[in-house]
Amino acid sequence: VSLLSEQDQRVVREHLSAIQQPVTLLLFTQTFDAPETARMAREVLDELARLNDLIRVEEVNFILEQERAAKYGIENIPAIVLLAGEEDTRMRFLGAPTGYEFMSLIEAVILASTNDSRLTPESRALISAHVSSPTDIQVFVTPT
Amino acid sequence: MARESALIRASCVEATEFMDLSRRFRVTGVPKTIVNGSTEILGALPEELFVRSVLGLPEVPTPADS
Repeated sequence: VSLLSEQDQRVVREHLSAIQQPVTLLLFTQTFDAPETARMAREVLDELARLNDLIRVEEVNFILEQERAAKYGIENIPAIVLLAGEEDTRMRFLGAPTGYEFMSLIEAVILASTNDSRLTPESRALISAHVSSPTDIQVFVTPT
Repeated sequence: MARESALIRASCVEATEFMDLSRRFRVTGVPKTIVNGSTEILGALPEELFVRSVLGLPEVPTPADS
């Protein structure tokens, strides 16, 4: 069963045509007592993967694969890590990407699949000049 | 921004699902951005202003930028 109407699937598929290289969505969850939101996240990711052949979903067991969780700095589930090929893009989604966050996820997938940040030249220059140590950005949102 | 620098990690956190994180960072409205666990940015800002805020730079360009 699809989460999106046929019309919406068309729009998203069209949008995803910008994808240039394979993107893997690592979904950290657990087998037993997984939160309902983890199941929702899986459905959303599967829907996305159905709409473009270059998108793949891989479920990672947060309990059994602690080394991988540590490698990607994952401390809560559900969590989604975006990989471009094998490379960690350092883009994460914590929680089920429903509602408005579904659009953010699509944008993130496209960013991951290209080497273009889509930022303005001014922003790129600022980042290049001023980022010299690890910087962690957490954006808190709610689904609406 | 994470796409632009290998030093940057960017997470989108669903606030209502992670109440402990939301409480820790006193999230009472969204979007709210937390940089390195401390700096707070409220609301959705225009791109360059957001970049400046994340980097801890003044809102208006100064000669020190370049």
